[in-house]
Amino acid sequence: MAPTKSTKDLNKGKSNISGSAKKSAKLPGTAPAGISKRKVRNQTLAKPGGAQKTKPKSTDAGKKKKRVYNETELDIPKLNGIIPAGIAKPKGQKKGKKFVDDPESMIAIMSVVNAEKEGHIESKIMRARQLEEIREAKRKEQEKKAEYRKSKFEETKESLRKKRKNRHSDPMRFENIENEEPKNTNGKRKRVSFG
Amino acid sequence: MRPLTETETKTLFEKLATYCGKGISNLIADPSSKEDRYVFRVQKDRIYYVRESLANLATSVRRDNLLSLGTCLGKITKTGKFRLHITALSVIAPHARYKIWVKPNGEMPFLYGGNVLKAHIGRWSDDCPEHQGVVVLSMNDTPLGFGVSARSTVEARRLDPTGIVAFRQADIGEYLREEDTLFTT
Repeated sequence: MAPTKSTKDLNKGKSNISGSAKKSAKLPGTAPAGISKRKVRNQTLAKPGGAQKTKPKSTDAGKKKKRVYNETELDIPKLNGIIPAGIAKPKGQKKGKKFVDDPESMIAIMSVVNAEKEGHIESKIMRARQLEEIREAKRKEQEKKAEYRKSKFEETKESLRKKRKNRHSDPMRFENIENEEPKNTNGKRKRVSFG
Repeated sequence: MRPLTETETKTLFEKLATYCGKGISNLIADPSSKEDRYVFRVQKDRIYYVRESLANLATSVRRDNLLSLGTCLGKITKTGKFRLHITALSVIAPHARYKIWVKPNGEMPFLYGGNVLKAHIGRWSDDCPEHQGVVVLSMNDTPLGFGVSARSTVEARRLDPTGIVAFRQADIGEYLREEDTLFTT
């Protein structure tokens, strides 16, 4: 930043010099009516070594207050990508794999796994038993219903049969049937003959 | 070739526990005993069950030259799960928790890669829940493979003869069927 500033200053200085030189060349001959004495004095003072020094100093002080941060200080992720929660490892953890080769730790892991599995199986068996009980109860209820329905059906059948019997036992009806029967037997039977 | 990490050991034991129950503790030798113990080793993506002395000897073979050692139990998939191979049958069969015995008429269909049907079953272990690892044996107790129970024992009793009782996962017919790929890494 500092070098750029300096170049700017230099440019400014150059332009000022040229401007002041032009004006100073014009001043002695023809004094323009619109310019006051104070302004003229100021213009004469605007020389490279003079009052101009104060201006860049003030700008420098304002910029110095801003703190410039490094990339490392900001703690920005390198690729600025999203790190999935499962993959992110806590800082300061040891790199590399942790091997399990001694029987004690293997037995410890195995006992944990076994206990977990045992619990799973137990719960599975318990659930299966409960479901089985529910199913059994449902089946019994359905059987009961079916039996009741069957018995009702039988009852209605029986009642219908009784009704019919009663109708059959009616004497008038019985006679009619008897009278009709011989008619049927004696009536001409249709015969079919070939040839 | 290297020992297993903690997570690998856990996934391996979880898988073995579905078939073996408490019997798997016999796979790890008692630390107090002085006998040559068996260890688990990873070579490429496969896990082997090896005698420790043999595993130590195998360190003298370059990793990429070492094809196999001991008994291959299975392989670790790229998603970090563990898949048992038929070669693990000799390790899990003696410690199996649930077993299904298949009648002679069901042996061939199973060895050709079919599931276990109700009609083929000679005997089964009681109280087997659903989706539990089972070892399939012939009627003369020869292990034929392993699978997962499709139904609990109680439900399977009510099943019709063509119903599936256990889904096949591996059978010894693979030694012929998968001959080309079984031992390649």
